[in-house]
Amino acid sequence: MSSYFDLTSSLWKWDSPIWLLVLTLTGMYFLLQRSTSGKRGAAFSVAMLALTLAYISPIGVLSDGYLFSAHVVQHLLLLLIIPLFLLLSLSESAMESLFSRPFMNRLGSVMAVPFLGWLSGLGVMWFWHIPSFCNASTVNYSLGIFRDATFLLAGLAFWWPVFSPVKRYHLNPSVAVAYLFSACLACTLLGIYITFTVISVCPAFASPVDRIGILNLLYDQGLNPATDQRLGGLLMWVPPCSLYVTAIMVVLKRWYADIETVPTSQTTANPGSLREAHQ
Amino acid sequence: MTTGSVEESQLTMLEPQPTSTRMLDWVSTLDHKRIGIMYILTAVFYLAVGGFEALLMRIQLAFPNNTFLSPEMFNQLFTMHGTTMVFLVGMPVLTGFANYFVPLMIGARDVAFPRLNSFGFWMFFFGAALLHFSFLTGSAPNAGWFSYVPLSSKAYSSLQGVDYWIIGLLIMGIGSVSGAINIFATIINLRAPGMSLQRVPLFVWMMLMQAILIILALPALNSALAMLLIDRWLGSAFFDPTRGGSAVLWQHYFWIFGHPEVYILILPGFGMISEVIPVFSRKPIYGYTFIAASSVAIVLLGYGVWAHHMFAVGLGMYADIFFAVGSLLIAIPTGIKVFNWTATLWGGEIKFNTSLHFAIAFLLQFVIGGLTGIMFAAVPIDWQLTDTYFVVAHFHYVLIGGLVFALFSAAYYWFPKMTGRMLNERIGILQFWLWVLGFNMTFMVQHFLGMMGMPRRVYTYADNPGWALLNGIATLGAVFMAVGTLVFLWNIFKSLHSGKIAGDNPWDAFTLEWATTSPPPPENFPVIPEVKSRRPVWDINHPEYADWKKEKTPEDKGRRGNLAKIAAWSFIASEAVFFLLLLVAYVVFNTKLMAPVGEASSPETLSDVTSSVLDVKRTGIFSLFLITSSLTFWVAERFLKAGKKSAFVFSLGLTILLGIIFLGGQVWEYTGLLSNGISINSDLFSATFFTVTGFHGIHVTAGVIALFVMLLMGLKGNLSSEKTHVFGAVGVYWHFVDVVWIAVFGIIYLGLLQ
Repeated sequence: MSSYFDLTSSLWKWDSPIWLLVLTLTGMYFLLQRSTSGKRGAAFSVAMLALTLAYISPIGVLSDGYLFSAHVVQHLLLLLIIPLFLLLSLSESAMESLFSRPFMNRLGSVMAVPFLGWLSGLGVMWFWHIPSFCNASTVNYSLGIFRDATFLLAGLAFWWPVFSPVKRYHLNPSVAVAYLFSACLACTLLGIYITFTVISVCPAFASPVDRIGILNLLYDQGLNPATDQRLGGLLMWVPPCSLYVTAIMVVLKRWYADIETVPTSQTTANPGSLREAHQ
Repeated sequence: MTTGSVEESQLTMLEPQPTSTRMLDWVSTLDHKRIGIMYILTAVFYLAVGGFEALLMRIQLAFPNNTFLSPEMFNQLFTMHGTTMVFLVGMPVLTGFANYFVPLMIGARDVAFPRLNSFGFWMFFFGAALLHFSFLTGSAPNAGWFSYVPLSSKAYSSLQGVDYWIIGLLIMGIGSVSGAINIFATIINLRAPGMSLQRVPLFVWMMLMQAILIILALPALNSALAMLLIDRWLGSAFFDPTRGGSAVLWQHYFWIFGHPEVYILILPGFGMISEVIPVFSRKPIYGYTFIAASSVAIVLLGYGVWAHHMFAVGLGMYADIFFAVGSLLIAIPTGIKVFNWTATLWGGEIKFNTSLHFAIAFLLQFVIGGLTGIMFAAVPIDWQLTDTYFVVAHFHYVLIGGLVFALFSAAYYWFPKMTGRMLNERIGILQFWLWVLGFNMTFMVQHFLGMMGMPRRVYTYADNPGWALLNGIATLGAVFMAVGTLVFLWNIFKSLHSGKIAGDNPWDAFTLEWATTSPPPPENFPVIPEVKSRRPVWDINHPEYADWKKEKTPEDKGRRGNLAKIAAWSFIASEAVFFLLLLVAYVVFNTKLMAPVGEASSPETLSDVTSSVLDVKRTGIFSLFLITSSLTFWVAERFLKAGKKSAFVFSLGLTILLGIIFLGGQVWEYTGLLSNGISINSDLFSATFFTVTGFHGIHVTAGVIALFVMLLMGLKGNLSSEKTHVFGAVGVYWHFVDVVWIAVFGIIYLGLLQ
């Protein structure tokens, strides 16, 4: 284990260009959201921390051709965690005014179509794990950047119908539950496939180029390519589903607290129900 | 398609006129209350059967080296005991209670599909009869209630027992799914005005969750059963490792069904307890929202933890860790509920009658069963204790200490509503103590026996220190439970004749079933009461303390949805799981034979040879016919809505023709394969290929028949433009069949995912 700590310096990539994106986003955030609440600020910090860690920490270094499982962790951060916390960090009032413009409103409504969000969220997950694409995006640097960008955007599209800061884009709770549950089912299928299949989903990870000389160490720890892929599959399966189930709980909490509409609906609903009741 | 849905006004017409024979009245009934009672009575009958089987086993195990039963008989008895208790007692008795009380509790006049309801009951009835008929053949099923392969394969179980088990379970499975679709549609669609889904009684909510579990979990069992049947009858090798099949796959499929099955059984128990405890504490339930929402979490997590039944199989360390964590997670929503019930009792004005006695015993015993469950989630403990009596103790604490006690509690609570008379309290308390003592004597000691290493499912044991004593105690406990059951039956018999008259609402209870007479009239309610909170009857009886004055709950927005479409969607959801698992089996068996990672591709295996016989282009063309039929169907639907009859008939006829052409293509393909000597038992490719495409072909055929019925109705003029939703429901099915084919074509013919 001691040799592991000797290598810590090479497992961190402090000069990652991700800092540029993080700084830009932070600047934009403070420019647009001057009067932000502590909760939203915290959500934004989580998003930025996750984004930074996804590239400079061992997750980023190992996912660059060493470990499929690290790649899955990075992928989940990009697709699920960062977009979710970005959406949560946006203030309702600022976004309400932004999306009141006709063009933005149309964009928001299109993004709120559940089919599209679902397809982009789960689509990138499946698409980038077709062996040839998975391999190409691992080997080719710019394709890798493109892939990561699609993860972020697809993640925003996926969470939009559930956690959009503008409430009118939210799905009806029963649809939202079905949306999230079917998403869990789809990533479960992919996870099961990756866990139990005997083919190499991402051949680049099956025979890594040992850039920083840690390959033997990883193998000594039991992380040979087959185990690594199995771990990756399980990571693709269990953590996202847990997140989706948590999101379902949030949706249900909203649904059970849906009392604000009482004054508006009471006047219309009550006489009808009384009349029907006494038929 | 006539889905059997009825308007409330039609209901009196639907129920057949009383005939001279009361027996025929019951057999032909469509009344949800009568069907519910028939479910419950049948379940009680099989409870006696299963209980008798258990008693025989306990007599055999009462002494070491006993020879009361032969090993073969013992195997049949534990198999039939498990199967009976799960499928013939647990599920139907809950369906029975749901049938009787869900419509009453939501203020409906009947279930959504009375005919489907009756169909479901009779499928269950005859499936159960078929299963027990196997005793007469001299070889009842003997491979355990989960029939692990290879033991249950032809090579090791050559007699018909396992076949009866498969067919019986398939038939009852069809009944269960149709019953669940019915309950689901009833709750979604037939709630009284004012009863939003956030206001339904918790028993109703739990039955909704149970319906979802049944709809999505039973097809997993059905697909596994279908494959096992094909293995046994047609000689394929899905589960035969010596011919490349996988015995572990059976375990995966069985437990993908089997673990949700645990929640299918226990969630309604939670619902019953959540009705009984508040009423006898004179308080609303503490944390309604938490109980309801956490059961959603249980439903979802319940699908993801099946492999904790398979820790001893050797799935690998990481898989074990993840499934262990998942299993521990699911303990959270389950465990916190115990605090909800305790908090409901806390500070309440407790009415400590028999029903509440059983409910309190449920709490204590369920906690014990839950805690041993958490122990089993830890992989090393599981390795140590699996297949010992500790497991037997664990699941009996959940299913008897939990479910059966909840059922007794519910029986004492609802008996007055069902019969108009109260059960006797003194006899009830006697029964309670017999059961508590008997149950804990039988199963508490099995924890110790399990730790001492006594294996389950072995017909006898050596005279090890202490084993005889503990087993003797267990057998004595079983006798107590049997006597307790007789006391219960005596109580029912006595109370039916001379019990106290109950009146409409003897408990001053809260939910809508108490707003009508006991027993309720055929139409349930003369007037449906107003619903403004979660306790409508409380609000009516105690207007000064009405719930809606103190605490707001989400209003009913009046959304109900279309019955035919709800039924069609829930049906295809079930079918989708079935096809999904068949396709997973295809992928599993047909990627395995590819070259291993990192090696040069090996010479062609047998599978490559047979898969190369498929004519992809030809089938592609026939697929286009099927996909076009979806379009023509869509066009037909437009024409029906627009009321253009001849155009509708033409495009529907075209749809049927296209479907038949597709089927013709499939027949062509099959004849080609069969004449080349490739049949379902050739190899794993052919087995999976014929199974997937064959089941799809059966579905297309069924779809064509349904379309034909629609066509006839259209020609006769029975399909007016107001009835488009019925046509639309058939459309949901037809489009689904096409979507499945696209997946089949992609995976089998184009080789995606390989």
